[in-house]
Amino acid sequence: MNPLTLEGVEFHYPATEAPALRDVSLAVAAGEIVALVGKVGAGASTLLLVAADLAPRITGGRLTGTVRRRARSGIVLPTPWTQLSGMAFTVWDEVAFGPANLGWPGREIARHVERALERLEIAALAERDPATLSGGEVQRVILAGILAMDPDVVLLDEPTAELDPAGARALWRLVRVLAGEGKAIVVATSDLDAVPAVADRVAWLEQGAVRAMGAPDLLAEEATCEAGLGTTVAGVWRAAGLAAPYPLTVADAIQRWR
Amino acid sequence: MALSPALQLDAAGFSYGAVAALSAVSFAVAPGERVALLGRNGAGKSTLVRLVTGLLHPDEGTVRVGDWDTCDYAPEDLARRVGSVFQHADQQLFARTVREDVSFGPRALGYGEREVARRASDALEALALTAHAAQHPYDLPPALRTLAALAGALALEPAVLVLDEPTVGLDRALRAQVAGALHEHVARGAALLVVTHDLGFAAETLDRGIVLDRGHLAYDEPLATLLASAERLKPLGLVPPAVAALSVALELPGLPVREREAAHTLARVAGAQPRP
Repeated sequence: MNPLTLEGVEFHYPATEAPALRDVSLAVAAGEIVALVGKVGAGASTLLLVAADLAPRITGGRLTGTVRRRARSGIVLPTPWTQLSGMAFTVWDEVAFGPANLGWPGREIARHVERALERLEIAALAERDPATLSGGEVQRVILAGILAMDPDVVLLDEPTAELDPAGARALWRLVRVLAGEGKAIVVATSDLDAVPAVADRVAWLEQGAVRAMGAPDLLAEEATCEAGLGTTVAGVWRAAGLAAPYPLTVADAIQRWR
Repeated sequence: MALSPALQLDAAGFSYGAVAALSAVSFAVAPGERVALLGRNGAGKSTLVRLVTGLLHPDEGTVRVGDWDTCDYAPEDLARRVGSVFQHADQQLFARTVREDVSFGPRALGYGEREVARRASDALEALALTAHAAQHPYDLPPALRTLAALAGALALEPAVLVLDEPTVGLDRALRAQVAGALHEHVARGAALLVVTHDLGFAAETLDRGIVLDRGHLAYDEPLATLLASAERLKPLGLVPPAVAALSVALELPGLPVREREAAHTLARVAGAQPRP
């Protein structure tokens, strides 16, 4: 069984007429990374909230269709500072907050916390007060707290928004490593140029529905480029009037150029 | 005679207690200049923004906005000349409608209602928010709230506009909208200083790059040369944006860093006809 399966999901927020998600079906396998792309308001964030069991449980609204989750999922919101527990005076305790609530023995908690801090390269922040961290640091701390709970499904909404380019690269590398360990990962991102190296599959959302799903090559197709959702390289190739298929990445462009 | 600078830092330094955040930073920005302020997390960018907006005063050196020394002015007075939008500005909206929120700044500066209305309308128009003017800010998706916060700063029609990560969470269409509004504003003579990790946006929208590294000014040069130089960017935690990487990889003449220029150069070299 896949760690995460959505079948025919329709979701309405409270007091809105139009559905935020329409007939969405998506199965994510263990070890797979699915990138959600779309224009602002296309439904990527909502899909993640549904997958995380935050919508409609916390947001209200109504859901039809089926959502199946195997074991634990964890989500990093685009506003990670709203996810701080407010109960921890140090980063270490913040990251331990989730595992502690799972009722794990102390030694187990410590092991997971240390490992998560290490992986996010924030061990040096362990004694800091979470309230004094920068945006990029908070984003890493929240993800560390999620990973410390050892979830099977990791849901990430714009996980590099607060990070500098080097930090973003490190995060994308970590996402690949997590998939290598068998986690199922769904990530909504507007950093389209990062997608080819990270994702196994891309789901293109439009007005709450899946318009297309496929390999990352999807981001070099005419329709995605037309919609402003192609990679930069594909877009430049297309704007130059060169023939399709467009190269997806700089490496593809070099191949094509020879 | 050269225009006198809109913004000038002379050996400006600032420390948080014993921790030096900025040391001896000097540069000047002329009216109409579009400057990217770059560097890794913790390089001192946000501190520099706080100095320019008068929220902090330099421990050493001076920060001048036009002929005003920021040390002589409270932030709310400095707001006559410096408009700013901070990170997560979408959370700083407070009025009941988008139009009211955008009107707040010019009203607080003491302009008459007619002028306030004109400024608000112009700013909303520039960011294509007119259709949302009557909505409650928090009924908008976060991306449009970000634009609403920017509209509030544009409505001040400041001589110096300082933006901290203005494109976070925006898709390509909205980024283009922001770029267009900023160009319009700068065309009227404003100086623009943008803190951003989005080097693609910087390449498309701005001309000059100032890079901070551990509180020191590392580079101050045209973005077109800076962004094509992977080996200089790397130690600063920066990576060339896709267009610059493509230009370098294909050895496109002139190493364009903007999509349109790259497309035209590519078409010329390949003997293709660029799309209009």
